[in-house]
Amino acid sequence: MDINLFIVQLFNALFFASILFLISSGLSLIYGIMKILNLAHGALYMVGAYITFTVVILWLGLSWYSMVIAYIASIAVVASLGIYIERILLKPLYNKPQDLQLLLTFALIFILDDIVKMIWGAQYRAFPTIPGWSLSVGEYQIPVYFIATILIALGVALLLHWFFTKTIYGKMIRAISYSLETSAILGINTDKLFALSFALGAGLAGLAGGVAVPLYTASPGMGGDAIVLSFAVIVIGGMGSILGAFVGSLIVGLSRVFMAIIYPVFEIALIYIIMAIILMFRPTGLFGREMRERR
Amino acid sequence: MKVIMESIDVHIGGVKILNNISLNVSKGEVVGLIGRNGAGKTTTLNTIMGLVRPSKGSIYLEIDGSKTDLRRLKPYEIARLGITMAPQGRYIFPDLTVLENLEVAYGGSPPEDVLKDIFTYFPELGKIIDRKGIHLSGGEQQMLAIARALVRNPKIILLDEPLEGLAPKIVVSVREIIRRIKAEGIGILITESGNIKRIQDLVDRVYGIDRGEIIYSGDVESIMKDLDVRRRIWGF
Repeated sequence: MDINLFIVQLFNALFFASILFLISSGLSLIYGIMKILNLAHGALYMVGAYITFTVVILWLGLSWYSMVIAYIASIAVVASLGIYIERILLKPLYNKPQDLQLLLTFALIFILDDIVKMIWGAQYRAFPTIPGWSLSVGEYQIPVYFIATILIALGVALLLHWFFTKTIYGKMIRAISYSLETSAILGINTDKLFALSFALGAGLAGLAGGVAVPLYTASPGMGGDAIVLSFAVIVIGGMGSILGAFVGSLIVGLSRVFMAIIYPVFEIALIYIIMAIILMFRPTGLFGREMRERR
Repeated sequence: MKVIMESIDVHIGGVKILNNISLNVSKGEVVGLIGRNGAGKTTTLNTIMGLVRPSKGSIYLEIDGSKTDLRRLKPYEIARLGITMAPQGRYIFPDLTVLENLEVAYGGSPPEDVLKDIFTYFPELGKIIDRKGIHLSGGEQQMLAIARALVRNPKIILLDEPLEGLAPKIVVSVREIIRRIKAEGIGILITESGNIKRIQDLVDRVYGIDRGEIIYSGDVESIMKDLDVRRRIWGF
């Protein structure tokens, strides 16, 4: 592989890893704090993609300015949707068997898919072009949009780190993720923080959809592929760990893109082989810790 | 200010864990709840805190004659009314520092005077405020568990086996802290399963509990003289 192709593929891999990080960090956050495996997380990502498509292509026209507005709209709409899902649908199931939460989030995939079909139709909704210009690397091109996406993901990672280590709400969420009941008996409003955590996780899925849609066409069911790989990311990185989601995304993104060049038939298998090896030696993932009961 | 449980039954998974429990604890007194492991002590405390819902009976907080029904409240609402708990096993948040453990319990950065009060109770904690929970010794964890429960300035505090598993030297320190909390006028409900002598001189009165039933209520000297109660609680 020549160096120019390597650089281009590296940016491809980092772009892909960035999208994966934005999706899986939200998924991991929700699981780490609420112990809910949100199967509908991919559907929230899909809604984010449609919101960005609508704001940029149908309303404002393609520009950096409209992209930023669309991202904010995607985060706001999907985070609000997350609050409704958590407060109205999930909350009544907290003291019920976990199977019911799984069934509910599974059902939400189909409900959200159908709502999307009702609003935007069943056809694919594609951007006419990738926003921004491209950088030349020899005979190859790297879209500046890839670099912007990587910077967005890095920015989100830093923002999440700041939120969880420096703000009182972040610290309370970390407390809840360790022990819900102990947090509650100390006076921490666990209801409010559950809603906040779900909204934050959903908002990240919304942003991921918004960032991904110029390359990955918006379509009903687009969340399915994303969620499967995101599960691989959080199993590798460790359930509930944002750092784990970051490292897991890099592992999955780099291995998939480079394997697609080196030995394409092995592209997906490699990810699951890595996952299986990590599970054998570290069942909690690279940065996960053993999950406690909801005490 | 008084917490009152009246005729409480608790079922968990279809099994009756507490049977007709009645007890009370007032601001400024130390009340012991004595029983062997599995007798229902922790469930009693968890029921007061709203972690476990009773199937029968009432629990309320009485302040100047007005009663607040605790059964309708969530644990964090009960804590905000002035009843907090240091749970058995301490449950210190391992990734948070000593100061952060106090911050989350306070609901923000505690003001200087609050921290000063806490570190007057627990001078050892004042020296290790940046140490993470996971790196604390058992004694330091127990002190932090009590400090967290105190930081919101509660009126009544529930201490679940606070002396369990501690080195004798630390037991002396924790006992001294309990004395000082009592001197501040805070009501304490303290559980003990093993050695009653560890709390004998701390408590004003005790309840004996066995198989989810209160089998004794009175002063601590008399419980040792009641042969039936002794047999049921200590097996001799």
